[in-house]
Amino acid sequence: MEGCLELIHRVPGATPQLDALEERTLIRQAQRGDRAAFEQLVRLHEGGVLRLALQMVRSEEEAKDIYQEAFLKIYRSLGRFRFESRFSTWMYRVVMNVCLDHLRRAGTRREVQAPESEPGQAEFFHTLPEERPALNPERALQGREVQRRIQAALTRLSPRERLVFELKHYQGMKLRAIGDYCGTSEQTAKNCLFRATQKLRLELKEIA
Amino acid sequence: MNCKTVEDKLTFYLYDELEAGERAAVAAHLEACAACAAAARELERMRAVLDQRPRREPSPELLVRSREALDEALDREAESWRALVRSWFIVPPGVSALRATAALTILVLGFSLGWTLRTRVPAAATGNGSGQAPWVGSDLSNLRISGVSQVAPDPQTRAVRITLDAQRRVVLEGSFDDPRIRQVLLYAMKNYDNPGIRRDTLEVLGQSGNNPTVREALLYALRRDPNPGVRLEAAEALQALDWGPDVRQALLDVLREDQNAGVRVAAVNVLVEHADENVLPVLEQMAAGDPDTYVRLTCARALRERAREDF
Repeated sequence: MEGCLELIHRVPGATPQLDALEERTLIRQAQRGDRAAFEQLVRLHEGGVLRLALQMVRSEEEAKDIYQEAFLKIYRSLGRFRFESRFSTWMYRVVMNVCLDHLRRAGTRREVQAPESEPGQAEFFHTLPEERPALNPERALQGREVQRRIQAALTRLSPRERLVFELKHYQGMKLRAIGDYCGTSEQTAKNCLFRATQKLRLELKEIA
Repeated sequence: MNCKTVEDKLTFYLYDELEAGERAAVAAHLEACAACAAAARELERMRAVLDQRPRREPSPELLVRSREALDEALDREAESWRALVRSWFIVPPGVSALRATAALTILVLGFSLGWTLRTRVPAAATGNGSGQAPWVGSDLSNLRISGVSQVAPDPQTRAVRITLDAQRRVVLEGSFDDPRIRQVLLYAMKNYDNPGIRRDTLEVLGQSGNNPTVREALLYALRRDPNPGVRLEAAEALQALDWGPDVRQALLDVLREDQNAGVRVAAVNVLVEHADENVLPVLEQMAAGDPDTYVRLTCARALRERAREDF
């Protein structure tokens, strides 16, 4: 999960990574019911989880729900973690399942909405013409149109295809790692990636 | 390696998921086969399009809200167990949640709210004035001189009087609802050349409520602005206004006549929320006949969803 873990440090307030021994100690403490230790484990991984969730769902509210549901499940089942795999692998398996559940539920709701506007849009009184000579709404419109079509194309993938594609294309993970994190084989991940790219190729043909 | 095999492996070749030997074989085939090389380029273009999707970074506010929600859920989790144990063993209640997280949330959200609203103070104010008072000794860099009409030197006193036309930057701050602010915005929207400013102006006007002048200006922009980005902004701004025949007609006209597919899609998105006997036939017509595939699909999807809701 290098793709996700490496991004954690960019999240404000994230805890720096620990070495394996420190992490093991924390897990042991959390397994004994130490809430503070569990919160430290959350701080270690929350950036990657929240970022993945934001990519997979449309709204911050849904991303927050995924975060909460995933870490609550991890809290409940932490006692069953036996150190047979890396903690992050075990943890992300839970996260992936929560993401898949959300995508499946979302599939039954209304689809194809424009992505939420990005924060940080300039305000009128700070945007006098000399300060923004290059602003071009037509280009911005084209960009939004492309975003809309990408979003529409991605929502037409099956939840598993979507998850595998997200992890491969946007997080840069290897298929073997994706298989591990999704609790499936590398071959299954490979098949999902193949189907996803075939579908996207058709959906995005007009703008590619 | 034949073309069929290469076609099956192309995705994994581009995503760097082939063993070294396979990778070399595919590369060699692509060198020699124009058709497969074209397919590879097509796939590469698709990847490039997908790269345009922005990576969304969690904001500090989202992080804090997520932590707080988890904290509360963990509290409830602990509380439910405590309640169970208490009912059996009569154990006193434990300590409740971490309040520090809540305090931090309030701090961060309060800061964000303050930051967002900082230019929306209710009292209007003008700075630097726009009157024609003679310039005496103020900062020349703040003036843009458009013409000099008179230079009158006085050799005896070595003074000179210069009469010039100059533009001075004026900063206005005020509430969206201030009539003076609104007047400037309406002027900018209809007369200003910079489409970026017109778009921003629309964004503000769109939040100014159901004022008739604003309504008229938004409809004007939707129908007449030369820039499709501004027209799209106008279509979206109309969503905030009370629905009426004037808005409906403008959107239907745009759906039928606007040259830009993105603007037509924006019109569909608003119209579908108010689909009635005037709107549905046009949506059906565009679902069948719009020259743009995406507009047709959007109309068709809107009609399907409408039918599902009615059902």
